Amino acid sequence: MAALAAAIAIGLAALGAGLGNGMIVSKTVEGIARQPELKGSLQGTMFIGVALVEAIPIIAAVIAFMAIFM
Amino acid sequence: MFDYESMVTRQRKWMLYLLAIMVLGAGFLPHPRIFNGLLLGTVVSFYNLWLLQHKTTYLANAVASNSKIRGGLGTFSRLAAVMLAVLIAIRFEEHFHIIALVVGIVTSYVVLGLDLTLRMFSYKKKHKENKDK
Repeated sequence: MAALAAAIAIGLAALGAGLGNGMIVSKTVEGIARQPELKGSLQGTMFIGVALVEAIPIIAAVIAFMAIFM
Repeated sequence: MFDYESMVTRQRKWMLYLLAIMVLGAGFLPHPRIFNGLLLGTVVSFYNLWLLQHKTTYLANAVASNSKIRGGLGTFSRLAAVMLAVLIAIRFEEHFHIIALVVGIVTSYVVLGLDLTLRMFSYKKKHKENKDK
């Protein structure tokens, strides 16, 4: 049961983060390709967005490992 | 609004300050297990922050210069680093407190959020002053 819980936690978190990161990065790349002079501003926004989106799967990975091994 | 280079430098500086505080705590305060957990978590968190900054800069430069060589953002490397830290903490439970490790891992997000909030306030203040003039 613990392995199943860990798999569901990591899988759903990775799915959400993958979709979120994909949207953020695709729009940023599109923006930089159109207006390279806005690179600094866009990469700052992308950095913050990606960092906040990735917080969830990282915490999910920790919880999954604790569910399996503790 | 975002000066990316100065934001990155500021975040690294705050993470280094926090790391220094945790090293002092692990060395001199009476709960070394908790501070060891915090220290391990903060080291991994700092690595994750550095990797994300590095990869973001690399990707943005590659796109801006129309280069064909584009890397990813290193999501799996960051997840693997966190998993390794959790495994170390579970394996050597007598040296690392697991909850302290988790608190250490989210340090970079706290630094990022506080930095962003402070920047927003200073930007709004500056904007208001310029409007009043």
